[in-house]
Amino acid sequence: MTPPRDSAAVDLGAVNRKDCGCPQDQQTAARRGFSRRSFFKGALGAGALTGLASAELSTRMAFAATPYVGDVVVVLSLRGGFDGLNTVVPTSEPRYEQVRPNIHIPQGALIPLDANFGMHPAMQPLVPFWNDASLGFVQAVGMSNPTRSHFEAMEEMERAAPGTSVRTGWLDRTLGLRDSEGAFQAVQMGSSMASSAFLGNSPELAMWSVDSFDLSGAWDNAERQRWRQALEGLHANAPDPIGAPAATTLGALSTAGDLQDAGYTPAGGANYPNTGLGRAMRDVARIIKADIGLQVAAVDFGDWDMHVDLGSVDDGWLYDKLSELARSLAAFATDLGTGMDDVTVITMTEFGRSLTENGSGGVDHGHGQAVLLLGGGVNGGVVHGDWPGLANDALVDGDLAGTTDYRQLLAEVLEKRCGASVSTIFPNAPAERIGVVTPRV
Amino acid sequence: MTNGLLPSRRDVLKASAAVAGGAVVAGTVGSVGSVAAAGTGAKFASDDLNLHMLRRTTYGPIPSLHASIRKQGRKAWLDRQLNPSKLDDSYCDKLIANRFPGMKWNITQARNNIDDFSWELMRDVGVATIARAIWSKRQVFEVMCDFWSNHLNVANPSDNVWDNRHDYDRTVIRKHALGKFSDMLVASANHPAMLLYLNNADSTKDNPNENYGRELLELHSVGVDGGYDEEDMRQSTLIMTGFSVDWQTGLFEYNTWAHYRGAVQVMGFTDDNPAADGYDVGLRYVRYLARHPQTARHIAYKLCQRFVSDTPDPGLVNTLANTYLENDTNIKPVLRQLLLSRAFENSIGEKTRRPFEDLVATLRVLGYLPDKNGTSGMGDLYWVASDLGHLPLAWSQPDGYPDEAVAWQSAGGTLARWNTHLSLAAHWWPDDLRQPALRKLLPDRLPKTHGAYVDALAQRLVFRKLTNTHRQAVLGFLGRQAGDPLSAGDEAVGWRLPYIVALILDSPYHGIR
Repeated sequence: MTPPRDSAAVDLGAVNRKDCGCPQDQQTAARRGFSRRSFFKGALGAGALTGLASAELSTRMAFAATPYVGDVVVVLSLRGGFDGLNTVVPTSEPRYEQVRPNIHIPQGALIPLDANFGMHPAMQPLVPFWNDASLGFVQAVGMSNPTRSHFEAMEEMERAAPGTSVRTGWLDRTLGLRDSEGAFQAVQMGSSMASSAFLGNSPELAMWSVDSFDLSGAWDNAERQRWRQALEGLHANAPDPIGAPAATTLGALSTAGDLQDAGYTPAGGANYPNTGLGRAMRDVARIIKADIGLQVAAVDFGDWDMHVDLGSVDDGWLYDKLSELARSLAAFATDLGTGMDDVTVITMTEFGRSLTENGSGGVDHGHGQAVLLLGGGVNGGVVHGDWPGLANDALVDGDLAGTTDYRQLLAEVLEKRCGASVSTIFPNAPAERIGVVTPRV
Repeated sequence: MTNGLLPSRRDVLKASAAVAGGAVVAGTVGSVGSVAAAGTGAKFASDDLNLHMLRRTTYGPIPSLHASIRKQGRKAWLDRQLNPSKLDDSYCDKLIANRFPGMKWNITQARNNIDDFSWELMRDVGVATIARAIWSKRQVFEVMCDFWSNHLNVANPSDNVWDNRHDYDRTVIRKHALGKFSDMLVASANHPAMLLYLNNADSTKDNPNENYGRELLELHSVGVDGGYDEEDMRQSTLIMTGFSVDWQTGLFEYNTWAHYRGAVQVMGFTDDNPAADGYDVGLRYVRYLARHPQTARHIAYKLCQRFVSDTPDPGLVNTLANTYLENDTNIKPVLRQLLLSRAFENSIGEKTRRPFEDLVATLRVLGYLPDKNGTSGMGDLYWVASDLGHLPLAWSQPDGYPDEAVAWQSAGGTLARWNTHLSLAAHWWPDDLRQPALRKLLPDRLPKTHGAYVDALAQRLVFRKLTNTHRQAVLGFLGRQAGDPLSAGDEAVGWRLPYIVALILDSPYHGIR
């Protein structure tokens, strides 16, 4: 089954719009989702952007009693159930090859990580970050109440409060403890639907992309100004519940518009793949660098539910997914450069996959999963976690056990990198920390 | 709606909204100090009580409905709405019967007619819900179906409801939406959709799953402040062991082997519960909960929050709770008292439309009609609602969509709302739905001036004239003065018309519920 998020990914911008009765040029502009960038390329340069950014910044300062100091946390959700066993491969477990006769990654093809693990060759673009110790993994991560259902597991994971009747998501609770710092404080990038980790009253901004965050009726800056003035005028004296979000939206549109005008060239020769994930990570880097108050970004990267034809060592479904993942993350880290000192990327997935391959060259729903962490504060170059092994009595229902609760990882990142107190964010979570990140200095 | 662990962020937001609103815009555009000086919604909502009734109790006024309530009077109109089976709704009934034939199937028929784990019926019940909200004449009934679907939420889509969610909608929610809550709660406790969604189907005496037993107290009946403790919650779970689902047929079954035997006690309910067949004990318990005074207060509070205010007055809640108990959990007398109360009359402008309500009100006021054939355009609305973050029946957690303005304030949501207005006004998408010519929103004989044109359009779309300031904003968009003459060749009645319609729908006049 595919989670609804994936099927919800209808690109409205791509919909062929019917005759709207406007003059031909405007209709064409509307149809193409005309980018104001091409209009104003060069006309408004970095100057305009800086001016706006500082206006937003001072706005944030104006109502943030204690401005946030900490990492931008980027949560990358590998929806569908990510196969950690073929990604961070246990090289010292002969059983791995036996139970996955057709789909295992041969020892010789692996990128060596340490004495016990090797990495899938599609992860090659990330090798420099493993070597400079900004990339790390955790193996055998699990949940305290494992389930093999996509929906239940995802919801439970993003709620992150098992055994309680807390209804909100962990990112919402994280933001709820901070001062409000503007529309770009928390962003879901690459989707119009926010992850359930954001469920709750703290506002988040879900957007397909920076460039598409625009009034669909405005095709150039003059029209944009026309709309903005009219919308401002129509919201004069509006009640708070309508007026405040309208004002925030107009501010965010203005900020996004300046980002669009300024255009974006990734630094350091970073080469993002032109895919959903690549574009989303590029936009996350873009708004981090614009310094408009981003604290939390969530990005969905789905389609990991590989029940059939997972593929081979240098081809197929898993290879393609890992390759896109590695290229996107490598570009992101290259683009941000030393900026990665203030960024922590962490992956999540609802469950790992079955240890044993099925009759269709795929793997079914399992338990223990692998987590990837990337950032200047990451204790990288290490495969963390308490590896339970693949012996019969170490397995849970025949699958890799989870020995580290995923909330321990999130809590450690929030505590050490974001200055958070996590007791209300993760009620009843295990207190143990395994040292995946270093404290911020 | 807060989780009880954290301080509400509402106060912070409230305190900062004025500052944020002013500062963000002032920093970028200037001249919007007035946005920060928050007014009340009453200024935007017409003080016509008929319109107030329609905004609150339907999915949005349309001229014919406005005429109808004016003619009948509010009380008579409401009484007719509270007897939905007597209302002629043949247009919508036929639409649903013809385009969504699966809605009438029982679980067995569903299993015979669609592939296992197919998404077909889960999607169809979502789309049919949208269609009914737009086109049903039983508007109060539809609003109440939405209310109860959220109160007894079974997230759609979700695992294990592919064959039964539409049946839950018909046999639990729609059947009892204006009946007795006690009957609805019993029906939900007997329905595979609920028993699977909240895991009671897996709950046994040896291995109890507390999900349903807890939510039955916390959400469905006495409420989180109802005064139960953890032991009550465990006992609640034990009483309900045995209420399960036959995995072969997908139908309800009572498992005597799973049922806990022995004395039980929850919030004043006691039973010796000696038999392996505890079905009747379970039913007695559920009925007891439905009639509990705390349940009365909980439901009265939620109804007040839906129809009157985000922060209901305790006196009103108590009055309605008494009515609920005096009428043996009958919903109609409670609703009638609430909607004819002074408190209701005095609450003009205090509620705001949530995204789905805004979407449906927009489609209604623009006069949209279903696809000529098939469901393609209606199906597209499923994605529009989804993009707006308010797809009916789809809230993933058991507590249902929140109905407080503070939960719906994201910038992304606001922009999506504005862009949806234009997309619908301009008939860009969903383009398979039928839309009457936009020109028909204006009188056949065009108004003489641009000012009169804005007045006429506002009257048609938001049922009142805009204040002078707001009218100026629309005229400014057109680059016109109020007194400028209007002719058929003007942009305002030509290619700019959809933009002006969208702009008026973007205003708080349309955002007020």
